[in-house]
Amino acid sequence: MKPRRAVVTGMGAVTPVGIGADASWAALIAGQSGIADITLFDTAPFEIHVAGEVKGFDPTIYMEAKDARRHDRNTHFAVAAAGEALRNAGLLGENGRVNGDVDADRFGMVFGTGIGGIGIMLEGQMILAERGPRRVSPFLLPHMLPDSASGQVAISYGLRGPNMAVVSACATGGHAIGEAMEAIVRGQADIMLGAGTEAPLVPLAFAGFGQMRALGTPKDPDTGEYSPPMASRPFDATRDGFVVSEGSAVLVIEELEHARARGATPLAEVIGYGSSADAFDMAAPAERGEGNQRAMRAALARAGIGPEAVDYINAHGTSTPLNDRYETMAIREVFGEHADGLAVSSTKSMTGHAMGAAGAIEAFVCVKVLTTGCIPPTINYRHPDPELTLDYVPNEARAADVRVALSNSMGLGGHNSSVIVRRFDE
Amino acid sequence: MPRTSPPRDPARRAVVTGMGAMTPLGNDVATFWSNLTAGVSGVGPITLFDASDLEVRIAAEVKGFEPRDWMNFKQARRMSRFSQLAVAAARQAIEDSGLEIGEHNRDDIAVVMNTGGGGLEDVAAGENTYRDHGPQRVSPFMVPMLSPSMAACQISIQNDIRGPVITSVAACASGVQAFVEAQRLIEHGDVDVVITGGTESAIMPIAFAALANMGALSKRNDDPQRASRPFDATRDGFVFGEAAGVLVVESAEHAQARGARILAEVAGGALTADAFHISAPDPTGRGAAKAMERAIADAHLDREQVQYVAAHGTSTPLNDATETRAIRAAFGNHADRLAVSSNKSMLGHTLGAAGAMSALAAVLAIRDGVIPPTINLETPDPDCDLDYVPNVARQSPVDVAIVNGFGFGGQNAVAVFTRYEFEVSQSGLWA
Repeated sequence: MKPRRAVVTGMGAVTPVGIGADASWAALIAGQSGIADITLFDTAPFEIHVAGEVKGFDPTIYMEAKDARRHDRNTHFAVAAAGEALRNAGLLGENGRVNGDVDADRFGMVFGTGIGGIGIMLEGQMILAERGPRRVSPFLLPHMLPDSASGQVAISYGLRGPNMAVVSACATGGHAIGEAMEAIVRGQADIMLGAGTEAPLVPLAFAGFGQMRALGTPKDPDTGEYSPPMASRPFDATRDGFVVSEGSAVLVIEELEHARARGATPLAEVIGYGSSADAFDMAAPAERGEGNQRAMRAALARAGIGPEAVDYINAHGTSTPLNDRYETMAIREVFGEHADGLAVSSTKSMTGHAMGAAGAIEAFVCVKVLTTGCIPPTINYRHPDPELTLDYVPNEARAADVRVALSNSMGLGGHNSSVIVRRFDE
Repeated sequence: MPRTSPPRDPARRAVVTGMGAMTPLGNDVATFWSNLTAGVSGVGPITLFDASDLEVRIAAEVKGFEPRDWMNFKQARRMSRFSQLAVAAARQAIEDSGLEIGEHNRDDIAVVMNTGGGGLEDVAAGENTYRDHGPQRVSPFMVPMLSPSMAACQISIQNDIRGPVITSVAACASGVQAFVEAQRLIEHGDVDVVITGGTESAIMPIAFAALANMGALSKRNDDPQRASRPFDATRDGFVFGEAAGVLVVESAEHAQARGARILAEVAGGALTADAFHISAPDPTGRGAAKAMERAIADAHLDREQVQYVAAHGTSTPLNDATETRAIRAAFGNHADRLAVSSNKSMLGHTLGAAGAMSALAAVLAIRDGVIPPTINLETPDPDCDLDYVPNVARQSPVDVAIVNGFGFGGQNAVAVFTRYEFEVSQSGLWA
C-alpha cells in the first residue's frame, strides 16, 4: 500500500498584522509590526501595556450576532480563520457549509489553544462576585472550555470527523498541525484542519505574565524612547521579554489523492512532526534547548530527511533572553555545520507571541515561504548578541529558494513541537 | 463506511499494565473498585467551599486527599488540584505497572493526560486577588498553574519522562480521547509506553453557578446519594465530581520483554463530531453511534462480540435517552444482549476524568468478571430500555468492553478494551 501523504490545500489567518492570510503575509514581508498600546481593556494598573491585538475585528461578519455575543473572542478568531481556509481550499459550498460532495464524516480537526475562553470565564467570575450565582450565564461553561472553538468550527461548517483540541501552552499550534498530519497519514480522516487560536488579552492573564517578569519593554533600546513596535526584539542583544498577542491560523491538511481527485492544488506537503518534553521546569526551558533538540531530531526522522535538507527555520524566537539563546544552541547542535547555511527568522518580532495560536501562524508562514520564495525578516534586530550567531534574516525580507522549512514551538511546562513542510512537487 | 485499519502488528498492540485512581469512591484502585462494585455512592454535600448560597450544593468530591503524601510541599503549593490528583494517580499507576523509568527509556515514554478545564480554581483565585489587590499581587505561578496541559507536564517533570507530552481537551469526552491517542502512539511506534488518562477538579462556585443555571445539574440537595440516577425516569441532571484516573499503556512486546502483568488491551477507538450544538447532543445520536461503530471496526471486532458498554450515562434527561438511541443504532439487535452501566451513578460526572473512570471500570471488569451496576435505577423510563445492570453488580465474564464519552460541543469518543488473550484466540487475525 502506498503511504498516505498529507498536503496543505488551504490556509486562513487572523493575526495582529492583518485580518486574512493575504493581509497578514503582506505585512510580514514588509516588516510591519502589529504591536501597539492595548485598547481591549484599561491598562492603568500595569507597568507594561503593549500587546499584539487583532485590530478592527468584527465577529458578526463570521457568525450571527446572537452567537457572537455568547462566544469568546478566541472562538471568533477560529471561526473566521477556518472559514477563510475552507474557502481557499475550495471546500465551502454556497450555503457557507462544507461542500456536499465531501464526506463530512471523514473531515475533522485538531484545533488547539493555550487557555480557551478565559475572557468569558473572567466575566463570569466577576458576575458571580458582584451579582451572585444566579446571574451567571448558563452559556458560560460550554463557551469557556478550551474545546469550544473546535466545537463551534465543526458546527459552523458541518465537519463531523475526528475533533480534538490540543493544549500545550505555547507549543500548541505545532502539536495541532502535527497531530492533524498524523491523522491523515494514519487514515483516520481524509481532511483535517490543523489550527490554533488564542485570545489571552484580559487583565488577569496580562497580570500573570507581568508577574513572571516575562514581558518585553516597549522602548527603543538606543534612544530610550517609548516605542511599542520595538518591544519584541528576538535574538537581539537587548531583548528582554516577549509581547503577548492574539489571533488564529488554520491549515487545511488533506490526503494527497483526495486533494487530486477533487482537483485541489497542493500548496505544500507536511512531512515531519516531532514532539518532546523537557521534564525540567514549569516555566524555564531546559538548558541548551535539550528538549527542543529532541523535537527537531524527531521531526527530521519522521520526515526521513537529513538536517542539510532544511533551508529555513521559523524560530520560536520569543524575544526572552533564555529562549532565544537556548533555541540557537539547539539549532547548532542539531544542524551542525549546516546551521550556518540556514535562514532563521522570528516572525514574533512583528506578531508578538500568540501563545496557542503561534505555532499555527508560523506554520502558515512556512508554507507561504515555500510558495512565494520570500522569507519574512526578524525585525528590531540591531545589536548582534555575541553568543547568537545564526543568520536571523535581519530587518528586511529576503528572496530565497526554500524547499524545506521547519517551525519550532516551545511551551511553559516544557512542551516542544517541531513541524516540517516541503514544497510540493509531485 | 468506516475504513478498517490494517491488522495490527502483534508486537505493537497496546496493553494496559498499571492503574491509578484518585476518586470520590477511594484514593486507590482497590478501594475504588470495591466501592464501585458494591454500589456505593460517592456523592455528598460540598465541603471544598461554602456552597450555602448556591442552588446546587452537592458534589462527588475526592475525600481525604493530602497532596503531601504524593509530592513535596513546595511542589504541591505550585500545582492546581487537578494536577495534584493526576500526579498522585500517575504515581500509583507507574508503581502498579512495575515500570522502571531511567536514562535507558525516558525518551520513549509519553504522557497523554487530558482534562476538561484545567486550573480553573487558580484563574478564579487570581481574578479575586487581581480585583482586590491589583496586578502586582497576582502570583507569578498563576499562568503555568492554570494551563490545562500542566497535569501532563507535572507527571513528566515529577517522573523525569521526556517523550511527547500531550493534552487534548474535548470537554466530557477528554478522558476517552486519551486512550485513543495512546493506542495510536504505541501502534505507530512513536513510543513504547504511554502514561495516560484524565483529570478534573473544578469544585468551585463559578462552575456550580454556571452549570446550575444551564439546568444541567441535579437539584436533589437533600438526597445526595440518590441524586445521580442515570437512565431512571426521575433523573434531573448530573452531579458534578472530581477525579483523576491513569493507566500505563505499553506495546505488547515491551510489556512481555520486561515480564509485566498484562491486564487488558486497548484494542481501538474513534472520534467523531456531531456538528450540531454547543451543549446539546444531536437527538438522533448519529455522531455517537458512528463513533461506536468506527471504534469497533478499528478494533477489528464485530459488534456482536461486545459484552459491556461503560456508558457516558450522565443522568441528564437528554444524554441518557440519546445515548440509548445511539447504542440501539450502533448495535441493532445485539443491543438487548449488552450490559450497559453508568458508573456516574456513583462517581458523579467528573468531566475530563470521566472517560478514565470508565476505562478503569472496563479494565477491572475484564480482569475480575464483574460488571459494576447503575445505582438509583428505580423507575423505568420508556426511552431508556436497555439492560443497565440495575443497582447490583453482576458476575459475568467480560472479554470486550467499550467506553463512551460525549462532550459539550458534540465531541464523541469511544475506546475499546479487550481481554488481551481474546483477539488472538478467537478472531484468527494474527494467524
